Amino acid sequence: MKKELHITINGDEHQLLVATHRTLLEVIRDEIGLTGTKNGCGAGECGACTVLLDGEPVNSCLVLAHEAEGRTVVTIEGLAKGGVLHPVQEAFVEEGAIQCGYCTPGMVLTTKALLDKNPNPSRQEILDGLKGNLCRCTGYVKIIEAVETAQCLLEERGSEWADV
Amino acid sequence: MGGCVIGKGLPRIDAVPKVTGEAQYTVDLKMPGMLVAKILRSPHPHAVIRSIDATAARRLKGVHAVITSQDVPDNLFSFYQWLADKHILCVDKVRYIGDEVAAVAAVDEDTAEEALSLIRVDYEPLPAVFDVEEAMEPGAPLVHDDKESNATWSVDRLFGDPDKALAECDYVVEGKYVTHQVAHTCLEVSNCVAKWDKSDRLTIWTNTQAPHTQRQEVARVLGIPRRQVRLISSYMGGGFGSKLVMDMKLPIAAVLSRMTGRPVRIVNTRSEEFTTGKTRYPYTMFLRTGAMKDGQIMVRDLRVIGDAGAYHDKGPATINFSSMMFGTLYNVPHIRYHADMVYTNKEMGTAFRGFGNPQVAFATECQLDELAEKIGMDPLALRLANSNCAMETTSCGADVCGCGMTDCMVEASEHMGWEEKRATKAEGVKRGIGVANMVHTGGGGRFYGFNSAEAFIKLSDEGTVTLITSALDMGQGAHTAMAQIAAEGLGVRLGDINVLSHDTDLTPYDLGSWGSRASFMDGNAVLAAALDAKDALVEAAAEMLDVAAEDIVIEEGQIWVKGSDEKHALSEIVDHSVNAHGLPISGTGKYVDKLPEGYTIPTAFAKNIPCFSFGTQMAEVEVDEETGQVTVLKVVAAHETGTTLNQTMAEGQIEGSVAQGIGYALMERIVHEDGRIVNDRFLDYKIPNIGDIPEIQTLLVESEGTNGPFGAKGIGEPGLVPTAPAIANAIYDAIGVRFRELPITREMVLDALREKRS
Amino acid sequence: MKAFEYMRPSSVEEACAVLGGSAGGAKPLAGGTDLVVQMRQGGLRPTMLVSLRDVPGLSFVRVGDDLTLTIGAATPLASVERSPEVRRHYPAVADAASWIGSAQVRSRATVGGNLCNAAPSADMAPILLAYGARATITDGRAERTLPLEEFFTGPGQTVLESGELLKSISVPPCPTGFGKYYKTFRSAMDCCTVGVAAWVSFTDGTAVVQDARVALGAVAPTPIRSRSCERVLVGQTLDEALIQRAAVAATEDALPISDVRASAEYRKTLVSVLSRRALDAARVWVQKGAAE
Repeated sequence: MKKELHITINGDEHQLLVATHRTLLEVIRDEIGLTGTKNGCGAGECGACTVLLDGEPVNSCLVLAHEAEGRTVVTIEGLAKGGVLHPVQEAFVEEGAIQCGYCTPGMVLTTKALLDKNPNPSRQEILDGLKGNLCRCTGYVKIIEAVETAQCLLEERGSEWADV
Repeated sequence: MGGCVIGKGLPRIDAVPKVTGEAQYTVDLKMPGMLVAKILRSPHPHAVIRSIDATAARRLKGVHAVITSQDVPDNLFSFYQWLADKHILCVDKVRYIGDEVAAVAAVDEDTAEEALSLIRVDYEPLPAVFDVEEAMEPGAPLVHDDKESNATWSVDRLFGDPDKALAECDYVVEGKYVTHQVAHTCLEVSNCVAKWDKSDRLTIWTNTQAPHTQRQEVARVLGIPRRQVRLISSYMGGGFGSKLVMDMKLPIAAVLSRMTGRPVRIVNTRSEEFTTGKTRYPYTMFLRTGAMKDGQIMVRDLRVIGDAGAYHDKGPATINFSSMMFGTLYNVPHIRYHADMVYTNKEMGTAFRGFGNPQVAFATECQLDELAEKIGMDPLALRLANSNCAMETTSCGADVCGCGMTDCMVEASEHMGWEEKRATKAEGVKRGIGVANMVHTGGGGRFYGFNSAEAFIKLSDEGTVTLITSALDMGQGAHTAMAQIAAEGLGVRLGDINVLSHDTDLTPYDLGSWGSRASFMDGNAVLAAALDAKDALVEAAAEMLDVAAEDIVIEEGQIWVKGSDEKHALSEIVDHSVNAHGLPISGTGKYVDKLPEGYTIPTAFAKNIPCFSFGTQMAEVEVDEETGQVTVLKVVAAHETGTTLNQTMAEGQIEGSVAQGIGYALMERIVHEDGRIVNDRFLDYKIPNIGDIPEIQTLLVESEGTNGPFGAKGIGEPGLVPTAPAIANAIYDAIGVRFRELPITREMVLDALREKRS
Repeated sequence: MKAFEYMRPSSVEEACAVLGGSAGGAKPLAGGTDLVVQMRQGGLRPTMLVSLRDVPGLSFVRVGDDLTLTIGAATPLASVERSPEVRRHYPAVADAASWIGSAQVRSRATVGGNLCNAAPSADMAPILLAYGARATITDGRAERTLPLEEFFTGPGQTVLESGELLKSISVPPCPTGFGKYYKTFRSAMDCCTVGVAAWVSFTDGTAVVQDARVALGAVAPTPIRSRSCERVLVGQTLDEALIQRAAVAATEDALPISDVRASAEYRKTLVSVLSRRALDAARVWVQKGAAE
């Protein structure tokens, strides 16, 4: 059974007809066509499908689409502004924290959510914050360095990105 | 050995599309009219298929096709065709839980799944065998009835006189070592889309590490000419060896697409990825090492039983490769190696980073520590005394060119503080450090009788440089490395290079990205192409500027005459050549790994390896004696690069490998109950997350003597080889217990401590 | 997933009425992090999901002046983790919440969901049991409150009847004491292999145990209190020897199973180790207090 769904994704308002059993991940990828958000496991165990739902990181594979009625979603495609990378994205590129790139969208968004709430996390807080994002390529070393670099970049330029 | 572009830790050329979500992986592809297919898989580890009734499934609304073995060519397939043992869809028997029995193409996933549930298969279960040693017993259930035994392939190597050496050695240590099935767990699951066009050509988009050889495999199993098949890869969410050999999803999708006239997509669920995605080959190993009292290792004798699973794949190649690394490390004069690949009714194995070497290294490097203890030598000192040397040919015929093995050990030791940490033990807390060495190939292998690569460079009229290379980037950064090599060779900046690849219609035939060969093989071809293009560019510039070719300088995308201050942009020269003279500028490069004198495939053994790469890892661990928890505190990884092409990427490869090594050592194991995998999800198949990683210190050791581009060796796999034994040896240093089975779980530690106390 | 009806009631009465009228086919949906997985992989086939998203009064964290802690059933774990009041007065509860799943899971998963899912390993249960928590259940018209201990009836089963919802969990004000939760984990993403929570209060100015509650997770069909352990403790001076005896006693109440995560024997060993550690933390706390 399909129901009307109103949802804002990356600043764009959408009105869709979506079956009740569809997940937010499916709507983002299949209805809207934003394929940056990835399906890694379908069980909320790998974090590849992470998006920001009203600013909070969530596993979109476990959020039924209709639970996001009237809500605001930010996907990886919504970070860069006018071709300029968000400081978190820039840090990941600079520090070599990207290899195959499949975990990257989720990892970047979780990092953004972490730094939005806690601009100066300790190393342990960084580890706790990113435990839900699995990476098989990098060994996480440069990801941690990227988070620390992002911290500095946001300190310098954070006000320019406050509305993302 | 730095250059303008080489040696710099420059950001990857594909980082921006990946970090913005723009990068499309094959799983992201959308095509009009695309159908979704699902595969019906065997629920039994071993059974006869008596009948299949798909009538109800075919009638379901939204189902476009249902196929069984009757609807597909009945060719048998395997990576080595002479071992071919698998049909596209099972004909008379299923041989493991997950074996492909039927497939459905439907309008969406829900419909396809419902259709699967409507297919009635009548199975007659047969006795199954899951343990390799049991499978080798006479009277064991035969996984393949047409074979006489489950052990259908073996490798034997003999150098020197091992029995005599064992008798004459001052010390001999013996032990049994066991490793289990582990999964690659690439974040992107295996997937494909198949589509036929009006000229009857089949295109398959899939995440593959080897598009050209997989294309051959698809054509072979479908029984169609190769020219009818095109494979296209894209950004790939990881490979690690899992995506080298064709998965049956490819021909299944091809048949469904042909039948329905539509593109057909098949994507593994994560559970399917764990249960059918193919694993690392488990090795059961019986090893003896003998040495003299001065520490010289004289003899090593290894017997391996490899668990092939239900069908052959890269198993024979894996036990073959293990023998080469086993025979080369430490240049031991007397070597005996016997390995069998044995069928069991389980998920089949395939290549996995390290390719048999991590398994063997676990046994050999752990046993070396036992030997050191018996002799009364420090484990590092024993290894230093037996180090491989540059420019030697080992007893088994391996030609070692550049060798930084001693450097690796010395540097690792300094950075770990080996001497101090071994000498002092803190009270209460159980900490220990361990060491392990490795050798691996740094340039693939000549196993197919050749090892070569080709590349093309074209300059567009406005000066963009396009590099066409077969190097496959599965995340390891091959395209960035190739672009750096091209930029350095040509004299331009990294940002001037545009890389085209991943399409078998476009790229030259290539064996694929495996065996850490891309940097060495494809890199050499790219360098040759760049130098060829540079010659043409220099000639064009000389003509335009009316000077001799020797007077032309090209650097960072600018061209000038020696001694002159006037700089010209690349685009200017190319534009002139193209538009004033009608002469486009390009370059071709080929690298053929020269086979040594007298090389034949059967006798080649270690002469199959064009370039060896050595390394040392040291691990520091802490053991909680109450819970058995082993925490890795620090890993120092010293690895040869020959010449480091890109420091950031090389470190990334080693860091990623060490993380996988930690998983292999302490966490990962596919667990079966009567052939059924019970931990087919991330919740219960644990891979390291960000909280599990110790301090990892990577030391890139450069050395001379390698034929790679600018002297580089491959670095994709070496980082995974010594990690587990380094950790196992560190655990022994901490609590005095030796483990001979991986993974070393908390329960194993507690049980061993309990036994030690009693 | 099979299709189902989906409703978003705007009051507790409405939610309960719909749940009650569905002959068991409807399930309440809070965070969905357990439910969606079970529907996708575990064969759960509800005919209707009743979303609690817009039902007021179910998501809150309150620490009263008398230090009663009340948490709405639909409160996300992240809210508990981040609540300054919980951090100050009930840090072990905040810890327990912070060790579940990942940041992404905690954004959605709720305290009530964790308890109503009633896995033997439910991570919020042991510490709440140790604090003597009570569960308030509503059927839309009336409420009933019972000790949390009585809430669980079996693996995946609770006392909730058709048409009932868990409304809130409350921790009554306790005399000053020390609460601690330990779980074995390789990382937060682990499902609790074993969890032990302990709360101990002491007779004024001494290390004599006045009252103790010890709860175990993942070693029985439901989260349980370990009365054997508590009996050893109450009225005795908390020293190393007592702790050792109490830890052994805790294992007597554990009835663990063997599964892919751990063997029964290992779980029993861990009960002893973690009990010891939790009680030892209490001992250190009371000694420090006596020193000050």
